[in-house]
Amino acid sequence: MVGVSLLGLPGCDDREEEAQEAGRRKRGGTLIVGASGGSASDSVDPHLPLSTIDQFRQAQLYEGLARFDADFNFKLVLAEEITLEQPDRMLVRLRPGVEFHNGKPLTADDVLFSYRRIVTEPKGLGRAGLSILDLDSSKKLDERTVRFFLKSPNVAILDEVAQVFNGIAPVDFDPREPNGTGPFMFESFEPGRQSVFARNPQYWQADVPYVDSVVINDLTDDTARVNALLGGEVHVIDGLLATQLPVVEGQDDLRVVRSPSGQSSTFYMRVDQAPFNDVRVRQAMRLIVDRPQMIQQALGGVGQVGNDVFSIQDPLYNHDLPQRGQDIGEARSLLKQAGQEGLEVELLTGPVTPGLLAASQVLAEQAKAADVRINLRQVDVGTLFGDKFLTWLFAVDFWSTRNYLSTVALALLPTSPFNETHWPDDESRTAYLRLYNEAIQTVDSEKRGELIHEMQRIDWERGGYIIWAFDTFLDAHSTKISGLQPNEYKPFNGYDLSRLFFV
Amino acid sequence: MARKALRSNVAETPRGRSFSGVARFFLRRIALGVLTLFLVSVIIFAATQVLPGDTARAILGRNATPETLAELRHRLHLDQPVVHQYTDWLTGILRLDLGQSLVQERPVTEVIGSRIGNSAILFLLATLVSVPLSVLLGSIAALRRDRIFDHVTSITTLVFASLPEFVIGIALVLVFGTGVFQLLPSVSIIDPGRSVWLQLDKVILPAATLVLAVIPHITRIMRASMIEVLESDYVEMARLKGLSERLIIRRHALPNAIAPAIQITALSLAWIAGGVVLVEFVFGYAGIGAGLVDAVALRDIPVVQALALLIAAIYIVLNLAGDALTVFVSPRLRTSLQ
Repeated sequence: MVGVSLLGLPGCDDREEEAQEAGRRKRGGTLIVGASGGSASDSVDPHLPLSTIDQFRQAQLYEGLARFDADFNFKLVLAEEITLEQPDRMLVRLRPGVEFHNGKPLTADDVLFSYRRIVTEPKGLGRAGLSILDLDSSKKLDERTVRFFLKSPNVAILDEVAQVFNGIAPVDFDPREPNGTGPFMFESFEPGRQSVFARNPQYWQADVPYVDSVVINDLTDDTARVNALLGGEVHVIDGLLATQLPVVEGQDDLRVVRSPSGQSSTFYMRVDQAPFNDVRVRQAMRLIVDRPQMIQQALGGVGQVGNDVFSIQDPLYNHDLPQRGQDIGEARSLLKQAGQEGLEVELLTGPVTPGLLAASQVLAEQAKAADVRINLRQVDVGTLFGDKFLTWLFAVDFWSTRNYLSTVALALLPTSPFNETHWPDDESRTAYLRLYNEAIQTVDSEKRGELIHEMQRIDWERGGYIIWAFDTFLDAHSTKISGLQPNEYKPFNGYDLSRLFFV
Repeated sequence: MARKALRSNVAETPRGRSFSGVARFFLRRIALGVLTLFLVSVIIFAATQVLPGDTARAILGRNATPETLAELRHRLHLDQPVVHQYTDWLTGILRLDLGQSLVQERPVTEVIGSRIGNSAILFLLATLVSVPLSVLLGSIAALRRDRIFDHVTSITTLVFASLPEFVIGIALVLVFGTGVFQLLPSVSIIDPGRSVWLQLDKVILPAATLVLAVIPHITRIMRASMIEVLESDYVEMARLKGLSERLIIRRHALPNAIAPAIQITALSLAWIAGGVVLVEFVFGYAGIGAGLVDAVALRDIPVVQALALLIAAIYIVLNLAGDALTVFVSPRLRTSLQ
């Protein structure tokens, strides 16, 4: 068996220590959360969580076969073993003794049902990623075991399995009666307003959750959200703005948690259209950006500098690439060579994230030094991602935290559903696609890492993205609660509220 | 004498005929109201069609692919011809079926039910406070005309009449919520699990905003109307007869001064029904205003229609009630309808 096998056996020492810690913790209480990003389209369905608050909400009720931990490492959850027998064959064995909230035991049928549902539901966020599974030939081997076949070899299937929106629901699932395996059970839900969940006393992990119940309030307005925390109406919030940091940090009874994530803020250029179809122009644009300054001005100084390559949190990210900085001289020289001195171009921007709009203005300002004139055209988010999305020449976007190969599948292949830069360019196509096809079939992580490094070098040298920063999530909480850790994947302790407790 | 004669005139007219005159008037108004609602529904529907994007795009957002868009549109019947979509909705309305929310895929009545209740409470509180208060303020200002109370009231009402209601709302939050006196919640997040009546502290500031936005208009009209009445012949006659000021105001001045005030009150209350949109947004209050904003953003047409028609209906009913009350209070108008 060629595969890579992942077994979930925590060390004995860790278990004991944890148990002791857990024993000391106070139990009980109602945790009140103020979360950003809600709207009337909220849902508590595990497979349709389109907005971040939906993903967060359903993560309390449902779990997947695996997840990403605080350092973005793959960690088993409902599966006790996941083995890639071949790059196109995955064996999953479920943990024994896990029950859904209504007492029904977790079985292989539930897993197959859930994945089928995800790939056939138009609103399913995991649909693109799980489509590489050939669910028709995939088979249940016994009550706890499934052998998945993939339509074509792709080791990145593991990343999809760990995504928070690919949770497991039971075969007889009724969306109006939420029923998962997670640490909390459904009590009530009012879309756009509030959800209430109670502790799952039969949860398969011992000792957690600590609190009796969780109330998640939709607080979309940034000011309202921080006001609610300051006023003591909620215990914890996400989406704190950098401008609000001084207010929160100045309070003795509040703490801020900073989570450097792999979520990227980008400008992107189409590599197949003038003026950006000339690689020198693209390189020049990337050299115009003073990244630390942009982070300071657009993100309030909160964020990691980006190097025009995705997935900084990926264990296989190429940290050997020289960090690009501002070099106006070189930028001008490249533009001159390309015959694009005094270049004038329109940047389509909008409030996709708070920082992107401000960053666009900073970019326009910084471009002047290189004699480049960037005209900003601001539109609303609906237009940016509307019918003309994927036709824009020069625009803004952000990408959630994903490992590199998953992001490539979504953005950087001719077959990608969201290939905004229309990558690869003619010169890179052959090499890039060859590297990708090899990488997704390479089970050995070291060898795969080398291939990924080469792909990223091509991105770095020739790509259409200006990835100037990776966002740092800012959560804030009252000192009445503890257990909130920095997390590279998601805010709110990686969406894991089961480990929060009152002091 | 003169009064007695008037009464006997009225008594002579056969009751049946006067009643049917009034009834005809109002039936005609109701019929016009229904026609208005129908026209409103057509216009709103057309407006939502003109907006860029549709529900499927709004829901799927950045993650839309041509495939998922097509599937979702089919499921929500958005791939049917536009006129067809409208007539489907219309036939539903005629059966008193408001349809399904496109976004939440459950009945519209479920989606807007609690919101209507919340807005109703806000509306009720605002009305119960603003109407008596403005009548009082306007009357006193008229009685103490050109004295200090009148000047102060005049300036204050002018200031509040010119301020947009969201400015008033934010100012109230600053003073009573987060800033000077931290007495009241700065956001009005109603816990849907408990009754709103138990959380009235959250309703105070949004209601106060509406009250402050509406009082100026009613007060000023009340004052003007009262002044005119106090200068009229019959009041002067009553004074000459030696009747007490209090009796004059209660029996003669107030009932006649109120008639014009009724019209403006009806308009103001109708305005409140629409004004909740802005105020609810400022306070995060879960009412029909916020519901409408959300529904438009997501192109949830059945919900938009239901809420728009609700607000239009409130407008029409309030206007009708205003007219009815005015007729009831003015003998002249009553007899002219016969």
